[in-house]
Amino acid sequence: MKTHSIDVHALKRAPARAGDDDVCLRVEELSLHYLRSQNVALENVSLEIPRRRVTAFIGPSGCGKSSLLRCFNRMNDLIEGSVISGRVSLEGEDIYDRGVDVAALRRRVGMVFQSPNPFPKSIYENVAFGLRIQGVNKKRVLDEEIEKALRNAALWDEVKDRLDGSALTLSGGQQQRLVIARAIAVQPEVLLLDEPASALDPISTLRIEELIYELKTRYTIVIVTHNMQQAARVSDMTAFMNLGRLVEYGETDTLFTNPREPQTEDYITGRYG
Amino acid sequence: MKPTDVPEISGALRAGVRRAEPMVWLSAGAVTLALMLLVGLLFLLASRGFSHFWPQPLILLDNVESKAQLGILLDREPVPYAQDYRLLLHLGGEDFFDSPLVWVEEATLRARSTPQAALAIERRDQGPLFAFAEGVDYGEARLELSDWNVADQVAAIRKVRGTAGRVYLRLASGRPVTLPASDLIEVSSPNAMSGMARIRHAFSALGRFVREAPRRGNVQGGVFPAIVGTVLLVLLMTAIVAPLGVLAAVYLQEYAQRGPLTRMVRIGVNNLAGVPSIVYGVFGLGFFVYGLGGSLDQLFFSDSLPAPTLGAPGLLWAALTMALLTLPVVIVSTEEGLARVPRNLREGSLALGATRAEALFRVVLPAASQAVLTGLILAVARATGEVAPLILVGVAKYAPGLPVSSEFPFLHLDQQFMHLGFYIYDLGFQSPSIETAEGLVFATALLLVLIVLLLNLAAVMLRSRLRNAFGTQELR
Amino acid sequence: MQGDQHSQYRQHISGQFNAELDAMKNHLLEMGGLVEQQLSRAITSILQRDSGEAEAVIAADREINTMELQIDEECLRILARRQPAASDLRLVLAVAKSTTDLERIGDEASKVARQAIHLSELPPSASGVNEIRQLGSHVGAMLRDTLDSFARLDVGRAIDVVLDDNRVDEEYDAAMASLETYMRQDPAHIRSVLFEMWALRGLERIGDHATNIAEHVVYLVEGVDVRHMRMDELRALKASVSVRPGL
Repeated sequence: MKTHSIDVHALKRAPARAGDDDVCLRVEELSLHYLRSQNVALENVSLEIPRRRVTAFIGPSGCGKSSLLRCFNRMNDLIEGSVISGRVSLEGEDIYDRGVDVAALRRRVGMVFQSPNPFPKSIYENVAFGLRIQGVNKKRVLDEEIEKALRNAALWDEVKDRLDGSALTLSGGQQQRLVIARAIAVQPEVLLLDEPASALDPISTLRIEELIYELKTRYTIVIVTHNMQQAARVSDMTAFMNLGRLVEYGETDTLFTNPREPQTEDYITGRYG
Repeated sequence: MKPTDVPEISGALRAGVRRAEPMVWLSAGAVTLALMLLVGLLFLLASRGFSHFWPQPLILLDNVESKAQLGILLDREPVPYAQDYRLLLHLGGEDFFDSPLVWVEEATLRARSTPQAALAIERRDQGPLFAFAEGVDYGEARLELSDWNVADQVAAIRKVRGTAGRVYLRLASGRPVTLPASDLIEVSSPNAMSGMARIRHAFSALGRFVREAPRRGNVQGGVFPAIVGTVLLVLLMTAIVAPLGVLAAVYLQEYAQRGPLTRMVRIGVNNLAGVPSIVYGVFGLGFFVYGLGGSLDQLFFSDSLPAPTLGAPGLLWAALTMALLTLPVVIVSTEEGLARVPRNLREGSLALGATRAEALFRVVLPAASQAVLTGLILAVARATGEVAPLILVGVAKYAPGLPVSSEFPFLHLDQQFMHLGFYIYDLGFQSPSIETAEGLVFATALLLVLIVLLLNLAAVMLRSRLRNAFGTQELR
Repeated sequence: MQGDQHSQYRQHISGQFNAELDAMKNHLLEMGGLVEQQLSRAITSILQRDSGEAEAVIAADREINTMELQIDEECLRILARRQPAASDLRLVLAVAKSTTDLERIGDEASKVARQAIHLSELPPSASGVNEIRQLGSHVGAMLRDTLDSFARLDVGRAIDVVLDDNRVDEEYDAAMASLETYMRQDPAHIRSVLFEMWALRGLERIGDHATNIAEHVVYLVEGVDVRHMRMDELRALKASVSVRPGL
């Protein structure tokens, strides 16, 4: 074929496979079962998450998007009777390999949860937590790193005068940014956000989204969200999941204007499905 | 607005109020009853206890049948099968009378007075003495006091304390008594005292009660060793039960596999709280004192056998037994606290690369610290009031030597100790003259209640400090 | 053109949203019907040099303009309040763009009618009647097909319309050539021929707008922008669409 001619289907298909150099997390035929329930949490999911981009997982409740996210820092290990098969590799290393230090993995793959969960400690100690468990205890180093993390999380100006105050006195949006600061203080490579704005008001939500936009220059971000508009706003790539399967994965621009799969279409346009 | 505008609504509201009322009254009534009982108890303890220190008037009775008698009026009751009343008089000076308590029938009374010159003398080795001053000797010569006024008499007699002199007294019967200065502790003239002086006297007596060691088979003197013993026991018990209970709860809640075995252990722990405390005492005696202490003796102190070193009741064994007794409370409360720590705090710390232990000790346990403290408060309250097991495993009727000293090892865990609870029991039910010891029993009981209150208050303050440190917001 | 035109997809969870989308689309088709009528009346007026009919056509254009404003507002409202995505978003965009084209078709129809008024004032001549009739019916058919394809979301038919536009252009060129010949042969009727040429020009523009709408239909259904596509690519697309089941 001539180079000029346009393959019509190429326009509608996922973008060409990203080069290996750009892949941060690679998921290959991942399945997840819970022994307690007959349901399959994840079935044969394969996808590649590009580095320093925002990838959003959307889908109805119970579709497995959070389960998939929790596979990336092995949070599912905490659930008794979870059985996993397939491969997840971070920068080419299989994170489910025997001998992988899970704590070390979680330092590389930070996570922010649905409801803000600052520790019942001071703002300072919250951000210092990850550093302290790594053995960083020098006041000067801590001060520096904490200021950096809080600045990066766009929270410094609001809390710099009350670092010793309890983190629980912050507003919900501030708490969530504090939790993000806490996560990035340990300088992870990947930041997993599990519905980070679902408990926040619209303005706080926009602040978080703005923050995500700034953070993606440094971190690979994976975000799970119920809010399709949010996924459309913040993400570069979007994966639509349903019933434990990956239905469609592609560039956000395409997925939200012209999805390939009728299931995706039904979901993002709000039809019965 | 016309009143007829809202008849239905107000009717419905009224009906609602009417329905709610019985429940409100019932619950409020329960609270009131409980409060009244508590206040009543405290009032009883306080009034009866404090009256022990209050200078009682000395009554001089002139009797048809016998000689004059000077003493404190303890009771007045009808004579059985007679139309008369009789008085119970505490004469003191049991070394001079057959019995320090006498009944005097009112019909036989010739005269009754409260002489200003009557003195109440507290002695070191014998019971109180109620008498009149004759003279005083500071070691040189007898100084006649009979003509002095009572305030000067008291001052003169007080001066003799600490010298090698003596005090000359006369009992109401006219019998002279010579008292060595070393035997004199305090002298007062209750009938001649002003209000302020009475109060001063009462407080000084109270101070001595708290500061001094008991004398004369506990019926005299203070309870200081018992206070120290009680507090020490509770602190030691807390030091043992806190880590033990918290660790056990952590294991049950965090590490143990969820299954029938864990459930059974938990049910077992819960039921341990209901085992009668004397059973713990028996267990402590058998396991700790004879078992553990006995074998330690054989291992390390075999030279001094058969005299036991550790194989006898002592502070350590008592503290261990009490720790065992209060362990269920601490475990249950801690477990509840741990279960209430939100999952996302745990996950949050794990997600930052903390190991399970780090998450537990840096985040989860601190977040549950209030529940742990609540458990400890309950444990302390229970341990302070518990007497039965202590009788078996370490408490002594009389042990004026404190289990703490300035000599190595400072804390003598093998010693027996005194305990306020046991002191009350002993004084109230085992002492030869219950009537004279009654005030002491109430005073001690009040003291015990105050100590429990104080310990609890300390824990509550610590808890609220923690709450402030961890933010005002309640944990979700 | 009533009924469930959106039957390709399942119903929205929000019935109100469904109703709004359906109403918007129905209004567009209604406007399309009106424009179609305008076009046929304009052609009739010019063929019969009926100035009365022509005046009526020009007057009715107002209504079309009003409808355009109304539908645009509906689109705006849906965009603002519903944040449509995917096919819904494409539908709103297609409708918004198509109203513009329909309005322009209406304008062109009035322009044709205006030529009819001019012609009615001139002595009768049969110079361009055949050409106008032929191009008119062709363009009319195109418009009808386009609206049909919109109503039924029939991509094949829409692509046919797009492909057909070339034939309209050819016919237009041929008509212009023959009118040129008329002018040369019969200079007395040059004025009439000039007006007829204006009318033909308008009809040709209508064909272009109809094609635009057909392209919006393809975008709406397939999500592919076929503007500026070449013929062979279009044919390939049509072939791939016609073999796909279910749509």
